[in-house]
Amino acid sequence: MIQKWIWGLATAATLLSQPAEPSAASAQQLLTTYCQGCHSESNRSGGVSVQGLKADAVSDSGMTWEKVLRKVRTGEMPPLGLPRPKPADSTAFVGWLEGELDRSAVAKRNPGTPLVHRLNRAEYSNAIRDLLSLRLDHAASLPADDSGYGFDNIGSVLTVSPLLMEKYMATARRVSRLAVGTVKSGAAIERFTPGKGPALDGSDDMPLNLRGGLLLNYHFPVDAEYTFLIRIRGNPVAKALPPKLDIRMDGKRFKLHEVVIDPNEEAQITRNIELRLPMKAGLHSIGAAFLTENLKVESGVVSRRGVGAAPPVNNVSVDYLQIGGPFNASGPGDTESRKTIFQCRPSAGQPETPCAQRILSTIARRAYRRPVTSADITPLMSLFALGRKDGGSFDAGIETALRAILVSPNFLFRVERDSASAPGATAHAVSDLELASRLSFFLWSSLPDEELLRLAEQKKLRATLPQQVRRMLADNKARSLVENFAGQWLHLRNIPTWRPDPDRFPQFDDALRSAMQRETEMLFEYIVRDDRSILDFLNADYSFLNERLARHYGIPNVKGTYFRKVAMNGEERGGILTHASILTVSSYPTRTSPVLRGKWILENILATPPPPPPPNVPDLEEKAANSAKDLRAALEKHRASAGCASCHSRLDPLGFALENFDAVGKFRAVEDGAVVDASGSLPGGIHFVGPSGLKKVLLERQDYFVECVSEKLLTYALGRGLEHFDLPVVRQIRREATAKDHRFSELVLAVVNSVPFQMRRSPER
Amino acid sequence: MIITRKSLSRRTLLRGFGTAVALPFLDSMTPAMAAPNRIGGKSPVRMAFLYVPNGVIMKDWTPKSEGSGYELTKTLQPLAEHRERMLVLSGLDQYNGQSLGDGAGDHARAGATWLTGVHPKKTQGADILAGVSADQVAAKEVGKATTLPSLELGLEDNRMVGGCDSGYSCAYSNTVAWSSPTTPLPPEINPRAVFERLFGDGETTDPAARALAARQDRSILDFVRADAARIGMGLGAGDKRKLGEYLDAVREIEIRIQKLEKQDPNAIALPTMERPAGVPPTFEEHVDLMFDLMTIAFQADLTRVITLMIGREGGNRTYRNIGVPDAHHGLSHHFNDSTKIDRLQKIDQHHVKQLASFLAKLQATKDGDGSLLDHSMIMYGSSLSDGNRHEHLDLPTILAGGGNGRVHGGRHIRYKKGTPMTNLFLSMLDVAGVQPEKIGDSTGKIEHLSNL
Repeated sequence: MIQKWIWGLATAATLLSQPAEPSAASAQQLLTTYCQGCHSESNRSGGVSVQGLKADAVSDSGMTWEKVLRKVRTGEMPPLGLPRPKPADSTAFVGWLEGELDRSAVAKRNPGTPLVHRLNRAEYSNAIRDLLSLRLDHAASLPADDSGYGFDNIGSVLTVSPLLMEKYMATARRVSRLAVGTVKSGAAIERFTPGKGPALDGSDDMPLNLRGGLLLNYHFPVDAEYTFLIRIRGNPVAKALPPKLDIRMDGKRFKLHEVVIDPNEEAQITRNIELRLPMKAGLHSIGAAFLTENLKVESGVVSRRGVGAAPPVNNVSVDYLQIGGPFNASGPGDTESRKTIFQCRPSAGQPETPCAQRILSTIARRAYRRPVTSADITPLMSLFALGRKDGGSFDAGIETALRAILVSPNFLFRVERDSASAPGATAHAVSDLELASRLSFFLWSSLPDEELLRLAEQKKLRATLPQQVRRMLADNKARSLVENFAGQWLHLRNIPTWRPDPDRFPQFDDALRSAMQRETEMLFEYIVRDDRSILDFLNADYSFLNERLARHYGIPNVKGTYFRKVAMNGEERGGILTHASILTVSSYPTRTSPVLRGKWILENILATPPPPPPPNVPDLEEKAANSAKDLRAALEKHRASAGCASCHSRLDPLGFALENFDAVGKFRAVEDGAVVDASGSLPGGIHFVGPSGLKKVLLERQDYFVECVSEKLLTYALGRGLEHFDLPVVRQIRREATAKDHRFSELVLAVVNSVPFQMRRSPER
Repeated sequence: MIITRKSLSRRTLLRGFGTAVALPFLDSMTPAMAAPNRIGGKSPVRMAFLYVPNGVIMKDWTPKSEGSGYELTKTLQPLAEHRERMLVLSGLDQYNGQSLGDGAGDHARAGATWLTGVHPKKTQGADILAGVSADQVAAKEVGKATTLPSLELGLEDNRMVGGCDSGYSCAYSNTVAWSSPTTPLPPEINPRAVFERLFGDGETTDPAARALAARQDRSILDFVRADAARIGMGLGAGDKRKLGEYLDAVREIEIRIQKLEKQDPNAIALPTMERPAGVPPTFEEHVDLMFDLMTIAFQADLTRVITLMIGREGGNRTYRNIGVPDAHHGLSHHFNDSTKIDRLQKIDQHHVKQLASFLAKLQATKDGDGSLLDHSMIMYGSSLSDGNRHEHLDLPTILAGGGNGRVHGGRHIRYKKGTPMTNLFLSMLDVAGVQPEKIGDSTGKIEHLSNL
């Protein structure tokens, strides 16, 4: 596989670089003529010197050459107003340099040395789910992870503090108790508020005409009675029908509760509805929400959440749901977790050790993602014996040993080894088992499943990689790519806490908030599932809407809360740059900012992030933000200064093209009485107007976008920041994906087949 | 209020979230519990640092005159009943919060400097760098005596991805506590999780069960240490360092277990206070429950150092129930619009009102020869004064509590221009028996905390 890869790279590099013209000599000449004036050893403009760079030995200074390549290719350098090479010469130089860098990468391959990698919170949650058939939300019990390079799965950033260790201990205790179903669990109350958990809209567990409620997946630890307290809150209105609360367990209506309100009693009412029910251990869905039909007033006006002034209906909603218990526990029940764990039961009168050993070996192999040995199992058996004695049951022994597995560094860390005899600083292929973990944490954010593990143990994984990758992408677990990769690449994770200014955007409510996030997630999912071209991100002529979002977009005839694929033929919408989600997270809470949107595009679409603003720059925009015209004028003045122009001549025009969308992504032709000017001009006389003009310009530079996605995907797949020696790999991934119509699976395969994914470099010794 | 009546036998009431929870606490047990920790019969000094974001409206905060005759300003009105037990401190600066050539990003710098006094490195990546915060300097010493060296709490779950403020990592504005220049400590926002940190998470009210759990924990930690040693063989230096972090954390937990086991099992009978159910639905209930937990943690001497971020720096909470539907940070850029300034003042006063209720809880809780408040230093403030202009100098600061007789309230003190905030920390830590040479940009202790 690796040989094949290298051969592929060499061929591609030869084909694409057209090395005959220009030569190293003419490149050296160009560098001296156009760059060295500022980038000399004495001046070091921007911290870069090209003096001493040898065009006939590019590999000696790969890092600097990569910077040169990026700046010349995008036309950022030489700066406007200074002498520039002819466009044809620039293009030739870029082609030559790219070829040289890519060739030297083949000769001197460096896959990098990823550090020991702690599982992050999402990976930990998924691992528990897959290991023990236990779906729990660990957001409340484990701290969020720090991120670097745009993602929160970066090995060098994921640390362990005493606080985290304490949380791991506590979480392991809770998880193993729930998984085993320890009966003695003390009663406790937990509260849940709407907005977290699965969306009400479009869930199979709730009917369609509900509002103002919540749906919750809750793991009941044992067969027992539990209390449910549903607190509702609202403003009663004269003449309104009594609101009806639909309470459902596992999708079936348990009770339709009519809330009787005397409109004269208070300005705002609260009611507690309390139930006590026997529940079977395991995961159940609990829903409580109001029937929409009961929110009609007698005149027949239907409520629209959050639009304008308070509607003349009983504006009630579920405040929170509290679950208490267990009470009168009758047994551990027959949960999926217990079925997964207890593959055997010791027969009465027989020794328990063989069964315990079988159970713990099975779990440890999955948890540690490798075959286990007696050195792993013997200490676990001692802990089994300890728990068995303390707790007085076989199950208690398993629970104690399980706790230990869940805090073991074998579980919490992904460790890759270099053979002890390997010399320092050399590249070698990772083992099949290590590759299986790399794959599963990349595509599933979780442990390898049985099939991957078995193939790796039999050393057959590399032979079946493409099939395995496609199988994994088709699996439901690949949804982690939406939550973890897309959520961070496109900043979708910021939407749940985004708070646009309520005075300026009174129409922004939670329904819109979740709909805009869902739209982008569904586009991403669709591109993965249908294996579409990743260029669809930029220019899809379809999207996924429900009524709330369609209304926001001014698109008629989309009714109801569920999402469906809708053709987008107009000029306004299509592609993520016109998604309300992206337009919102790249704005200020109060207004749009062409600079922020331009920066968002440069960072996340073109992979050419601008440097941070230089020192002592006053916040120009804030003062000029009173009107769109003032803002445009101020930014133009701003760009007149050479120091600002180098970045803002690229930033601002990109953002201006999206000025037809307000800070929550609503289309506007007119702002504050003036027609919106959505035109922009990039250096080099590239002029465009509005989102369709912008998209055209971006598609003309689709290589940048494909490389951007490749770069983000490779960073996420490796869990480390990219270095200059990874950039030839990024270009190779782009070439491979481009040759296969940019299909998502081909991009993933190119990442999986790349040198840094397949190999590692042993540390210096 | 946790302890509403003083000498009732074992039962008192905890009002947390609508329901009154029976709490067999603690007064009768407190002496036995805290006795081993009392030095020469003296109560230990407790410290809390309460942070409010986005600055305050200074004209309604700073008293006009100085000394003991000063008049409480509009924003400080809710503190009237505590006037004699608190100091209003003016003129203290966080010089290093200013841009100093780093451009925009004042909110990130405000958060990162407040307790460190160090100019943070401008980065969005993994290489964050600030300084050790005053609370952590204290915790490293006074924390040796308690199960938890310190608690870091917050009220706003708002961790963002990407950068948070003009090229600064979110780590800078998410917390004010740093255990090392590269280790920000994330605040815990869920009262349920705080309770579990303090009291364990299950059937642990029974001392025997708790001892058993501790013994099992110790066996499991022995097991993981052996695992880590096996893994560590043959790894490179970078990987070994990562595993070293893990082993350090394991060791720290072991030390806590040892402390727990050393305590008299009859003295550590824990309250059967119900675990909080989660994050309460309103800000007011949330902060109130957090204050209850802080008071219990101090009273039971489970920790002596707490930071609480009432809001995340640059945070955008709305306060509809006091008539402020605007997002706080957005509003803080008021451009001298008087409507906005009025609303901001309402928020400031609302925050101060919460402080007053915390001080009342501490004052009502008996501790040794006085009240908890007598033995505490509660610092309250923001790392921006004028939020509109991002001003890092002359910061709004209150120091409440008696500090075991070494802090005398009832005054407004204005320090001379250019006095570093960190000098206050040196003085506070001195009262707690910790004498670091320097914190951030400190130049020496400040005067007048005790002399009248």
